[in-house]
Amino acid sequence: MKTEHLESCRGGGIDGFLPSKEKMMAMEETDAGMDEQLAALGYKVRASDMANVAQRLEQLDMAIGGSAAQDDALLSHLASDTVHYNPSDISNWLENMLSELNAPPIPAPTATHPKSISFDFPSENLSSSVPSPFDPDYCLRSDYQVEGRSRNRKRMRTSSSSSSTSRTAAPAIESIPAVVAATEVSSTNPLVVMVDSQEAGIRLVHALLACAEAVQQANYKAAEAILKQISILASSQAGAMRKVAGYFAEALARRIYCLHPTQDTFDSAFSDILEMHFYESFPYLKFAHFTANQAILEAFSGCRRVHVIDFGIKQGMQWPALMQALALRPGGPPSFRLTGIGPPSPDNSNALQQVGWKLAQLADTIHVNFEYRGLVANNLVDIEPFMLESDESEAVAINSVFELHNLLARPGAIEILLSTVRSLRPRIMTVVEQEANHNAGSFLERFTESLHYYSTMFDSLEWVAGGEGQQDQVMSEVFLGRQICNVVACEGPERTERHETLAQWRLRMNGAGMRPVNLGSNAFKQASMLLALFAGGDGYRVEENEGCLTLGWHTRPLIATSAWCVAGAGESG
Amino acid sequence: MAGSNEVYANESRTVVPLNTRVLIHNFKVSYSMLRRQDGSFDRHLSEYLERKVPANAKPVHGVVSLDLLLDRSTNLLVRIYLPAPTVTGNELPQQALLSALQRPPSPNPFPVIIFFHGGSFAHSSINTTIYDILCRRFVTLCGGAVVISVNYRRSPEFRCPCAYDDGWTALKWASSQPWLRSGEDAKLRVFLAGDSSGGNIAHHVAVRAAESGIHISGNILLNPLFGGNERTESELELDGKYFVALGDRDWYWKAFLPEGADRDHPACNPFGPNGVKLDELPFPKSLLVVASLDLTKDWQLAYAEGLRNSGHEVNVIFREEATVGFYFLPNTNHYYEVMEEIRSFVNSN
Repeated sequence: MKTEHLESCRGGGIDGFLPSKEKMMAMEETDAGMDEQLAALGYKVRASDMANVAQRLEQLDMAIGGSAAQDDALLSHLASDTVHYNPSDISNWLENMLSELNAPPIPAPTATHPKSISFDFPSENLSSSVPSPFDPDYCLRSDYQVEGRSRNRKRMRTSSSSSSTSRTAAPAIESIPAVVAATEVSSTNPLVVMVDSQEAGIRLVHALLACAEAVQQANYKAAEAILKQISILASSQAGAMRKVAGYFAEALARRIYCLHPTQDTFDSAFSDILEMHFYESFPYLKFAHFTANQAILEAFSGCRRVHVIDFGIKQGMQWPALMQALALRPGGPPSFRLTGIGPPSPDNSNALQQVGWKLAQLADTIHVNFEYRGLVANNLVDIEPFMLESDESEAVAINSVFELHNLLARPGAIEILLSTVRSLRPRIMTVVEQEANHNAGSFLERFTESLHYYSTMFDSLEWVAGGEGQQDQVMSEVFLGRQICNVVACEGPERTERHETLAQWRLRMNGAGMRPVNLGSNAFKQASMLLALFAGGDGYRVEENEGCLTLGWHTRPLIATSAWCVAGAGESG
Repeated sequence: MAGSNEVYANESRTVVPLNTRVLIHNFKVSYSMLRRQDGSFDRHLSEYLERKVPANAKPVHGVVSLDLLLDRSTNLLVRIYLPAPTVTGNELPQQALLSALQRPPSPNPFPVIIFFHGGSFAHSSINTTIYDILCRRFVTLCGGAVVISVNYRRSPEFRCPCAYDDGWTALKWASSQPWLRSGEDAKLRVFLAGDSSGGNIAHHVAVRAAESGIHISGNILLNPLFGGNERTESELELDGKYFVALGDRDWYWKAFLPEGADRDHPACNPFGPNGVKLDELPFPKSLLVVASLDLTKDWQLAYAEGLRNSGHEVNVIFREEATVGFYFLPNTNHYYEVMEEIRSFVNSN
């Protein structure tokens, strides 16, 4: 390493990075008119807006810093009762705060509001008598459900519209070829490395990368030799690193020996079982369902007939909680229609219908008018709008949890699907995806990215309660191991685990004529609190990312939830 | 107090650039929503509002970063920043980075800066964007330093001395890493640095280091957080002006110090009535940056006095008309001149 690392900083690097004094007083602006210095710190404020924002900050400060007696109530209102959106957009956040101060306070929930959805967890650990938020008995909090109140609508409208105006840096709606979009963003996606400080672990990672490099160079003899080293290194490791190394080594071996994993129809049923174990002990799927449901619930506010289209119904685990929340809506539940899309059953068992039947039973007990339709499709791109039979009087929500990335295996498929989505005019489309770039770049780049991603994921699985938890852990590892195998050993249409990052999905969605709907602090807080129920506890982190929410392990986001609606559609709340 | 707010609003307009004003004022206002009268803290809203950025193994302006888990029992993470290692052949940035962590001591000396972010012991993390940017600047500023930003446990959930313990753990870890050693004598050339509460932590970790025989090349304290029971002139005069109020300071001390302790506790007031004598210890040289419009400046100057009285060297950089947080944006003389002082201090020690 010698002198290079010092030299590289002495060259143009320093001068290029630290702006000269001559520039220092000038407001540097990006193309979109944003103040560049604040943008580098994560805040988007238009240079032309700066003075106005400064003035409104003073206004807010003075209002808060009023008499000491009012202090607490006002601050408490802003902190606890008010929903915040996208803190990067200071201007809009301020408008939100100031309008809260000017409006009369929201009355306390009425006595008929069932206590079971009260969300005042004590700061200590939950007693076992409090129902778990993920039990079918538990409901999403519908505190924002003051849907009759125009102020809430206005706030959502405002935040949605300002996020679209601050989005002027995004490409034009008309078209961005999807491939170009992906490569543009991949050059700016961070390469996230989170490592345990154990030295042996670092050596193991190094060996895996060296093996992948050899494979990329088609130097299979060298690759084989390194694989042997890897198994020796791995056996001396404990825990997550050993297991992850095992899956990646196996995937490399498959690639070297051209053993392609078969994608037969048994896979989906078995996959569902594995996924259910993953669902039980680890928060990832529950976070996905919870945050998506929250956005759907808000979007359905005030609607009497609602229709959810689930792009991957599987065991329908997401829907009991939503149905519960709808049942408890002030003013009564809407009539709820669910279209569950899934692959054909291997043995004519009609799994799709069975899911619907179970949900119908639940709907019956909670008195929600429910209609279900199962739609069998080998591929989402085969779905055409007429099949969904949606009519203008119903509010439509489209839900896609870990489904969209599969479409990237076939050129043009995602564009077709998103165009179908647009034609359905959904109030909202919720998207949950892995927060990683496992699609663009060379094989080695993909391997490296996925190694760090799954190492982090596996590390989080180590914190599991004993007994059934252990079984869940093993099944989860197998579940994730299949993804690893697909990412590493497959190519072409077989390689369906084509994960892309939030930044990349934003480009695609914007390019397809969708605009973001911000997820707010209420969803964030509740999701964060629920994490405390999992054995990993403190290690899990929810982060806010310009209107989207991510769940990660320590500082590494692993999955991202975003919500969208059709750009230019009427701002009808 | 409406009157003082008006005065404050007018005064800060003339001394602080507009975008700095927006940045710091935004912190002030949003932070005020997080502190509760009963001493508890709205941690969820705090995390929601903070702007964060992931580590990046890909060079950005010649600097790469990665996150390392040092201690599972306390979830102690550090973010390591270093000059982008040269990539050999078809190596990926991540590979080069991992290689860098395994390299032997370098013959050419380079500084290691252990950095403790500010936030009055309650706010911010290693991945908070304002601090990520600052640490990256330190790498290039100091001619290729390795910067280790410590994700210490925060109050009120974790009181004193948790943050100090975490700082100590990070320092010990750094001492054990061959790749952080350099020069003919293969030594760890380490500086402790921090702003606000981070400056306070740097001091206390330096004391521990001195007591334990770990050599620290220097302390860099930016507006470090110190206090005491007494109300100083600057506290009374500047209360509520320039973004900071005495009431806030009191709240943060109460949240950080052990239950029942007052502000003359040595963590808060190291040279006060309960302070520890540093006279006999090999305490490092200090670079102390004080902003004239920071209401805690009297405590910082008293700290400098305390160091001198103990026979230890301290260079005080007193910035007229600087407020808290001037080092977040490169838009004033304060920023550039202080950075230059830091560069000079690191290079000469």
